[in-house]
Amino acid sequence: MGKKILVVDDDPDVRLFTQAVLEENGFTPLMANNGEEGEQMVKRQKPDLIVLDILMPKESGIRLYRKLKTDKEFKDIPVVVLSGIAEKSFLRSQKVLTEFGGDPVPEPEAYMEKPVDGDVLAETIKKVIG
Amino acid sequence: MEIRKLLFVTKFEELGFDALQSLLTLRNAHLEHVVFMNVIERDEVAMQRGLGYKRSEAVRLRERANIRFIDWAEDLFEQGMEVGVYIVVGNLIPQVIIAAEKEDADLIVIGCRDQSKLEMFYSGSDITELLKRSERPVLVYKPMARSGIVLEKPFEKPLLAVDGSPASLRAVQYIEKLKNVVNEVHLLYVASPKELKGTSNLNIQQLRKEKRKELEKVSEGLEDKGIRTRSHVYIGDTVEEIERAARECQSTIIVMGSSGRASWIERWIGSTPRTIAERSPFPTLIIPYQGD
Repeated sequence: MGKKILVVDDDPDVRLFTQAVLEENGFTPLMANNGEEGEQMVKRQKPDLIVLDILMPKESGIRLYRKLKTDKEFKDIPVVVLSGIAEKSFLRSQKVLTEFGGDPVPEPEAYMEKPVDGDVLAETIKKVIG
Repeated sequence: MEIRKLLFVTKFEELGFDALQSLLTLRNAHLEHVVFMNVIERDEVAMQRGLGYKRSEAVRLRERANIRFIDWAEDLFEQGMEVGVYIVVGNLIPQVIIAAEKEDADLIVIGCRDQSKLEMFYSGSDITELLKRSERPVLVYKPMARSGIVLEKPFEKPLLAVDGSPASLRAVQYIEKLKNVVNEVHLLYVASPKELKGTSNLNIQQLRKEKRKELEKVSEGLEDKGIRTRSHVYIGDTVEEIERAARECQSTIIVMGSSGRASWIERWIGSTPRTIAERSPFPTLIIPYQGD
């Protein structure tokens, strides 16, 4: 069984596309519809890497990322952000949340703006996961 | 009853980002999460004879909405806010109710499309349906449709219509929670001419005095919370007088209680909130009251 990759994205087309890319490259994909579901999946499945969207219902990727990276148990799980939201906005939002009194969080292992080429996504994941 | 999460329903024509930005004053009343919603109505992508479901049109409309929401979301994220999004195909009001439930939204904000009287007569109104079905406060926001101006601080000077009913007292409690965004509340009681026990000036003065006294109790409660108030008693047709008072007091918003589905029993509650919400040029905040 390949390494477990959790994809957190509310867009079914993106989930389908990412699932196909991951399977073709020997990974075991796990799917979640939003940040809330993603958090539960992380706790249950302890994935080897997370592909994370930002703008989603229930809980955004910004909050989930912050929760993961400040949790002793999960902070070392690498995260590849795959989103339409610009990287600059993501980093600024994390900075502001830290200024509001939150713990500082590191930058994600990789940041990719949608749409993304399947091969580039697979290569990025392989590079991050080692 | 704090406003932590707001569901912002838009078709883009009637409510834009400037409208949303004006609502960010609610951050002083604990607003921290905005959920965008765009409903692609079925008839826009409906099956037509020989054409079937227009999937490509649905994709185009979805992407158009998505691109706008991404742009807005970047701005809010950078302010440290939490943002969510729903873009769905379906019927507007049922989809809004579902999303509000899923998200547990504290306030639903929706625009009001200008409808001709004929259109309202035949198709009914989305606003009416939402007010009937929602158990959550609804802000019918009309910054662009009629005045063309987006208020900078829509909650600054509310006109609060009070009649002593549980629903209107619920609205008073709601305003209390907004004390950090409200500058001055104008309290209004509209007495019906039927309430007059005679036609002399004395009768009118007596009625005014009684109602002013009732309003003063509400006023004292708000002043105790640090909210400045002014009380007014008007006599006449409820809808017309509320509108008149809002204009004369230079109100930024009209606030009313409604007891939801049971509303058709009580006087205020009758069709007044619905009529004001649909027809008044003022933004209208309707607070539902479900009863005990």
